Amino acid sequence: MSRTNYNCAGIGRRDFIQLGLGSALGLGFSDILHLRAAAAAAKGKASPEGIRVIMIWLDGGPTHYETFDPKPDAPSDIRGEFKPIRSNVPGIQYCETVPRLSAIADKFTVVRSICHQDPNHGGGNHYMMTGAPTPVPVGCGAFVTFHPSMGSMVSHQRGVRNGLPAYVTAPSETRSAGPNFLGAQHAPFVIGGDPSNRNFKVRDVVLPNDISDGRATTRQKLRKSLDRLPRLRDSVAEDPLFGFDSFYNQGIELVASREAQAAFNLSLEPDHVRSLYGMSDFGQRLLLARRLVEVGVSWVTCNYGGWDHHTNIFKTLKDSAMPKLDQGLAGLITDLDQRGLLDSTLVICLGEFGRTPVVNKDGGRDHWPHAMSVLMAGAGCPRGAVIGATDWKGAYADENIHSPEDFACTIYKKLGIDPHQLLITNTGRPVSLVSGGEPIKELFV
Amino acid sequence: MIIFASLAIESIGAAPKPSSLSVFPTELTLRADGQTHRILVTGQLAAGIESDFTKITKLTSDNPSVATVTADGIVKSHKNGNAVITAKAGGSSAIVKVTVTESTVISRLNFVSDILPILSKAGCNSGSCHAKAEGKGGFKLSIFAFNPESDYQNIVKSSRGRRVSPASPDQSLLIQKPTMRVRHGGGMRFETGSQTHQSLLKWIQQGMPYAQLGDPILTEVKLFPAERRYAKNSLQPLLLRAHYSDGSIRDVTQLAEFHSNEKTIAKVDENGIVDVGTTSGEGLITARFMGLIDVSRVTVPPDKLLPHIAYSVLPRNNFIDGHAYAHHQKLGLLPSDRCSDAEFLRRASLDSIGTLPTPDEVRAFLSDPSSDKRKQLIDRLLVHPAWADHWAVKWADLIRPNPSHVGVRSVYMLDQWLRESFRENKPYDQFTRELLTAQGSTHLSGPVVLFRNRRDPGDLGMHVSQVFLGVRLECAKCHHHPNEKWSQSDFYSFAAYFTDLKRKGQGISAPISGEPEFIWFGKGSTVLHPVTGEAMKAKAPDAIAVTIPTEVDPRVSLVDWMTRPDNPFFARAVVNRVWAQFFNRGIVEPVDDFRASNPPSNAPLLDALAQDFVAHRYDLKHLMRTIMQSHLYQIGSLPNEHNLADTRNYSRAVRRRLPAEVLNDAITSVVGVTDSLVGLPPGSRSIESWNNKYTSEILDAFGRPNASADCPCERDTRTSLVQALHMMNSRSLQERISSPEGCAARLAASALQPDAIVTEIYLSAYGRFPNADEMKISTNAFTEAGATRKTAIEDLIWALINSAEFVFNH
Repeated sequence: MSRTNYNCAGIGRRDFIQLGLGSALGLGFSDILHLRAAAAAAKGKASPEGIRVIMIWLDGGPTHYETFDPKPDAPSDIRGEFKPIRSNVPGIQYCETVPRLSAIADKFTVVRSICHQDPNHGGGNHYMMTGAPTPVPVGCGAFVTFHPSMGSMVSHQRGVRNGLPAYVTAPSETRSAGPNFLGAQHAPFVIGGDPSNRNFKVRDVVLPNDISDGRATTRQKLRKSLDRLPRLRDSVAEDPLFGFDSFYNQGIELVASREAQAAFNLSLEPDHVRSLYGMSDFGQRLLLARRLVEVGVSWVTCNYGGWDHHTNIFKTLKDSAMPKLDQGLAGLITDLDQRGLLDSTLVICLGEFGRTPVVNKDGGRDHWPHAMSVLMAGAGCPRGAVIGATDWKGAYADENIHSPEDFACTIYKKLGIDPHQLLITNTGRPVSLVSGGEPIKELFV
Repeated sequence: MIIFASLAIESIGAAPKPSSLSVFPTELTLRADGQTHRILVTGQLAAGIESDFTKITKLTSDNPSVATVTADGIVKSHKNGNAVITAKAGGSSAIVKVTVTESTVISRLNFVSDILPILSKAGCNSGSCHAKAEGKGGFKLSIFAFNPESDYQNIVKSSRGRRVSPASPDQSLLIQKPTMRVRHGGGMRFETGSQTHQSLLKWIQQGMPYAQLGDPILTEVKLFPAERRYAKNSLQPLLLRAHYSDGSIRDVTQLAEFHSNEKTIAKVDENGIVDVGTTSGEGLITARFMGLIDVSRVTVPPDKLLPHIAYSVLPRNNFIDGHAYAHHQKLGLLPSDRCSDAEFLRRASLDSIGTLPTPDEVRAFLSDPSSDKRKQLIDRLLVHPAWADHWAVKWADLIRPNPSHVGVRSVYMLDQWLRESFRENKPYDQFTRELLTAQGSTHLSGPVVLFRNRRDPGDLGMHVSQVFLGVRLECAKCHHHPNEKWSQSDFYSFAAYFTDLKRKGQGISAPISGEPEFIWFGKGSTVLHPVTGEAMKAKAPDAIAVTIPTEVDPRVSLVDWMTRPDNPFFARAVVNRVWAQFFNRGIVEPVDDFRASNPPSNAPLLDALAQDFVAHRYDLKHLMRTIMQSHLYQIGSLPNEHNLADTRNYSRAVRRRLPAEVLNDAITSVVGVTDSLVGLPPGSRSIESWNNKYTSEILDAFGRPNASADCPCERDTRTSLVQALHMMNSRSLQERISSPEGCAARLAASALQPDAIVTEIYLSAYGRFPNADEMKISTNAFTEAGATRKTAIEDLIWALINSAEFVFNH
């Protein structure tokens, strides 16, 4: 690290802002980025506490047949209309709908044998998003929370870093993404809007359009001189104004930081990178996710809905859903890898369950929790592997079978969080973060 | 303010002379088989302080062949007969009469009363060890030994009986593992040769009896001392005695678990030794033995107490003040001075109607010369139309159903019923009766929706007891409550009140386009005890079971019981909830967790409030009027030298962040433009919103109870980064500030001078006039380079609504 701009003498405004952002360490924002890159390059393996997550949530339950688990030998009413294609890893075939991913199959792993018993969207979402089944049956339309989501737990463990919310979701919150008893401060920060739109701006972290930097400074000065409710300095007084002040300071630093602001500004990204992800809302959202984890956001969920294909599955997938997913996800993994960030970023792509073996009368597939495919890349997941298998019809996980609890344990372990720790609920009841389960050992190399 | 000379309590030296000595217990009956029992000697010191003298006194037995006593106070039996133990110190003495009798029952160990307690004490059945849902190492025990029969099976019969070897008791895994003679994941739990080891060995030698007919049954446990005033830095051994059905009493201190609820006041170790720290205040030690608990209250008076006159000169507006001061005096706290009229107006308005006073109201109130203007204000607030909406939201937080469970129409019906109930100021007993005994269609009746949202009798029982009785039965669903006496029987017999419901119609509904469900009283299922399989009869916790005629809806019988004037829970639970809304903290906190191990901070105050509430026919407005009229509610939030550290005894007002809806409406009243909210007509206030599922960035940032979450969760009142970012940078908020219809535009277009404009904004945001310095800074904003009248006003509004004085109620 060559920069010495945090010397006490002669600190400029810009340096000051950077100092504030490094909070605990007293380092500037870009120093932190440099340090991270250096550390990653030196060791080739990030420490678990440094791992960040991009989760692509395919709400509705994506088919495993038409994505990562084709069954060419099954009868036609099961195997469907599509054919498998060869990937760049000998012996691994994926569906023809994912040509770009197949071409970089040596960078990720697909687990084909995670399964559970809950065929409802509400329950399946909850199980996969929190690692805990719902204690009572819930309906398909349900948005329920009985247990903290993995993203909220990561926020709870890591807290605010560099003035940035630890847990972000775009463009909307997924069904069971909430903090439950961990408290509202660990709810995801939702970034709505379409990042492929030219006027896209991340809400609340940048100044409103008609407020100039100069005016913002005036406002802050005015606020500082007029905010006069006396603060009770002694900590025994437990004055809530302390938290209030510290969050305002963090927020002001975030807005003033050029590096952080740059992270929210996709137009700074060169065209060839933007087009690598595809110019769709989904693709650009993944690019935004990459920029957010780069500046220290711990968990970004990209909520991509519409996978509940009860009718006309083949045409829908081929025309829009799969090309967007294939290009965006392949672009993300490729880009992260080229930047040396894949070892410190965990990419996960899944939905709440798989879909039924037999194509129904409407040319669709229905809910099926007994088999599903989960894609995982980075953060020490094997490059170019398939873990587990379904039976020859793709109906049931058949080999190396894993539960949602195993899945959650795997993620927590990758992030350096003990999956079996006891948490105390708001009613004082101890509960296991994950009840049972073991990390999937093949995902640790 | 008046500064009082403090009265220092006489300091306590190494061996102070007690004014008198006492021993507990004074009589002791022991079996002749070497049974032991601890005695504790107490010395009376100055200022009502008591101290343990057991080790300081000289203890002697007049008949050592019958019973001996150690220097620590452990009495041991030897043979039949009588003995007298004498304790002597500093010229005082006291005696214990000991009777040793031959036990009528042969000294036989029994699994339930002898073995389970020692396994519990060793931690074998804790939630992180063998009582985990899946057990540990293939061996599972029930948590806190709530299911002795299954534990017995698992120890004696499962795994082909390899855990116990009657032929060679010491080779049993039950002994080999916890003593680490064989590898044990849980480590060493007790040592070879320890009392625990001896007892297990003896029990296996006796053939592992479970229990036999006529074996005494544990009936209660008593902790000594029940309460005590301690000197700082003192130690006190506790004595836990188990009482059995045959009248026998055992010292089970060594087998009990202890817990302190205020570790800064007093810690307690696993042997029940209380270690009092250097902080004054109140604490509570809970002892648990085989599902039963008892408590010992700890009071550590401050070094300096204030003279009585410090309190007798304080205003006493009603009974609340007297009870509060009595408690303050005990703890050496002095309430802060009375708050200013401006502070009172803002606080009283926000607390009772969730609404800021308008500039005109502030002017009128501040210039009103009448001496009872606060009283008049309270009366005006309680008849304000916003009162009903504000309190309906608070109740909706507790019972609002999940729209993706019952459909939005049902959510709306219940919401409207709540608002109507508060508009009528329905007596709380009637309100409860209408809700809990509701029948009919969920599209026509609001209260019946409760029974659509919660369908399982256990779920309903849990919810109703927590919300209306302040009793959390949740833990008792699966096992005996760890810190309370509630058992699984209490849980399932309470659930039995909700079995006789018939349902017809859609049931669980999609959020939109849901059909109604019809719910009415009719003979239904029975609730079975999960361990014994017994069909449970409806019974409330701590109540005497009554037979409910088959033609009577058990829910009616439940409400009859709840609304009896002598009900121990119902009125207390609600007055405590309402109190917490005005004082930030319940007298019992959490507000819905009444139990012996979580006592009220001021029991006489809570009792008086509850009695007054019942005497005034459950009138919530009367309760609120009483609370707001008290001097206690009218003190300031700035501390004095005697109450800085007090955050729980109400000796100063506590700052509270405004709840989401109240904050959003407060912003509206300052900026002059409402927020457009989904599901509500334009111009509606946030406290009128009825469905928390409708997105609102600001309401989400400041937190609403999550209608999807399965608990009547309290609101999160903390501050967060997201809130700060939203208040500073939100586009929609900026649009409201700068709107051509807003206050900024209106004031800019007016003929008012900058100082008049500043005054207007201060009155509207802070409910007070600006001082000279504030006026100067604010008017300077109008002359900043590049500022227009309108931008200067906008910036001032922005600055004020982003300040703590606005965001907090103080």
